[in-house]
Amino acid sequence: MALVLFASSLALYLLATGAFVTHFMMSRDAARRVALGALTAGFGLSTLALLARFGEVASLRSSHDQLAILAWFLVAVYLLLQFRYRLGVVGALVSPLAFLLTLSAYIVYSGSENLSERLGSAWLPAHVAPAFLGYAILVVASCLSAIYLLQERQLKAKRRNGLAPRLPSLETLDDLNYRCVAWGFALFTIGIVTGAVLAKVVWGTFWSWEPVQILSVMAWLLYALLLQTRSIGWRGRRAATLTLVGFVLLVVSFLSLNFGLSHGSAVG
Amino acid sequence: MDRELLVVGVNHQSAPVGVREGLALTDQKVDEMNRRLCDVGGVDEAAVVSTCNRVEVIACASDGDATCGRIADVFRAQQPAIGPAIDAMLYTHRDREAVRHVFRVASSLDSMVVGEPQILGQLKDFYARAASVGSTGTVLHRCFHKAFSVAKRVRTETAIAARAVSVGSAAVELAARIFDRLEDKTTMLIGAGEMGELAARQLVASGVGGLMVTNRTFDRAVELARDFGGTPIPFERFPRYLPMADIVIGATAATGFILTKDAIQLAVKERKGKPIFCVDVSVPRNFDPQINDVDNVYLYDVDDLSEVAEDNLSERAREADKAEKIVLAEVESFWRWFSQLEVVPTIVALRSKLEVIRSTELERARAEMGSLTSRQSAALDSMSEAIINKILHDPITRLKANDRREELFLVDALRALFAVDDSEES
Repeated sequence: MALVLFASSLALYLLATGAFVTHFMMSRDAARRVALGALTAGFGLSTLALLARFGEVASLRSSHDQLAILAWFLVAVYLLLQFRYRLGVVGALVSPLAFLLTLSAYIVYSGSENLSERLGSAWLPAHVAPAFLGYAILVVASCLSAIYLLQERQLKAKRRNGLAPRLPSLETLDDLNYRCVAWGFALFTIGIVTGAVLAKVVWGTFWSWEPVQILSVMAWLLYALLLQTRSIGWRGRRAATLTLVGFVLLVVSFLSLNFGLSHGSAVG
Repeated sequence: MDRELLVVGVNHQSAPVGVREGLALTDQKVDEMNRRLCDVGGVDEAAVVSTCNRVEVIACASDGDATCGRIADVFRAQQPAIGPAIDAMLYTHRDREAVRHVFRVASSLDSMVVGEPQILGQLKDFYARAASVGSTGTVLHRCFHKAFSVAKRVRTETAIAARAVSVGSAAVELAARIFDRLEDKTTMLIGAGEMGELAARQLVASGVGGLMVTNRTFDRAVELARDFGGTPIPFERFPRYLPMADIVIGATAATGFILTKDAIQLAVKERKGKPIFCVDVSVPRNFDPQINDVDNVYLYDVDDLSEVAEDNLSERAREADKAEKIVLAEVESFWRWFSQLEVVPTIVALRSKLEVIRSTELERARAEMGSLTSRQSAALDSMSEAIINKILHDPITRLKANDRREELFLVDALRALFAVDDSEES
């Protein structure tokens, strides 16, 4: 049952992606409404799918659940912002990511927990949940940054893509980017601290030079720099570029986590 | 019969600004002219419209040729310096073309910037002026009201005014792509050039929060600042105020760059990277073009702004085609009404309508009564005819006895009350 719901939400995310891209390329307002509707409906279904297996999901022990919860966080953050601000076009970047994450979750679904028993600690959700919510917020920040760079480039070049819908203003994008990075950074910090504690509990050491650890700390330092330099005027294009660099680090670290580069040599 | 609608005047296409300036009328003069035109024999109704882009008289007259000539004389008298050259600038539209012209003007299809909405309001004002001195009647009343409703249709059914097409509104449109809202933003206007003033006015109208005005002649800055409700600042010190400005407009007559890359770099640094939107509307340019390379600074000169405006304008041109079709359809519907607005055809139409009623009812009555003698039948005929004639007697007498303005009003009312709408020909 949960899987059917999950598959339906996957289909809706695909529809949302198509509609958002149509909106983005051709400025069809109807497409935007379809996209938002599909994304919201998909979000509702995936919420039900997660709730149906809440007991297992809460322990966050399978790759499926982790990917699913990450996709869920991502769409939740976007919809929250969309509700508050009009960010229509940003959805054209968020929904394909949500689709890809949900698709991966669907592919790796095995119906069983596949993390090492040793990781079955209360620290696991305490590590994964904030880290992934942080990831989701930082991914949305990256999407905002990408749109920022697009708008900024058009403004500098004095070009406007005739048919393209209006992008949000630079001020809105920059402002939201800053707030997202601040929140994402805070949650990411919690994730790193609880991750270290989890490592200590499970392996007896806080730090073991794993790729995911190194990359995460690099990303963390980058975001710290980003927040710090804003006060000396690194905003706008520079902030957006840095956010995208952070995004690359996050993606690499996330892939290293999910596709075999150890992490307790148990995740796969 | 030979009642005619006509428009005589000049607009931005037919006459240069110098001539239009000379012809433009103050409100008082407009009233005077409205009254004077109606005193002329043959002119039933008249309304003068005088804006910076057009001066024209819309009239309803029984002697079209003479009236056109007379209105042209008024224009000539207004601008004696030009002499006969003015004749080439005056245009005359008659009949359907006159109606179409009025509808196009109201819909902003005849504006310098197609789609700019001000003209409709101006037209309403001038109609009200004419009505207040009593120079409008049934025809112009209907014509103007129809024009207003056509304009509304054009506005709602086409996207003719959806995007910025003036340099000033292009600046506002661009500002909205940089800034989330203008209420908490400050604009600095450097110089007192007309374009700069226009751009500043548009920004203020769009809700920009604060305005600083600087000018080499400080008195002029004070004057402009008072006009806009802004703050004057001394010209020598404007770079020091630069960090406070989110939007900077350059409109001086200076020949060198008054805003350099270094100055703007310093300002952005002090603003901690908050963006500055530089609008250079002066020719020769006031702002160093390299300013655009500075991070978080966006420079648009007058050509860039015109390009944005023109882009949008071509979009408007497509919409204008749709609008022209709407106008044409509405002209036809107005014309149908107008061409029937005559006493004799109205009476003929009314008579024939009543005649149809009479004969149908007579048939019915005869069927009820069975066989009648020829005398009885003739008596029925003449009785029903007499009823119609007696009923029609008073209205027809009144129609013929009144002056033309009253006559049109009554004809219109009669047509409406008796639902007479078949045309003269039928």
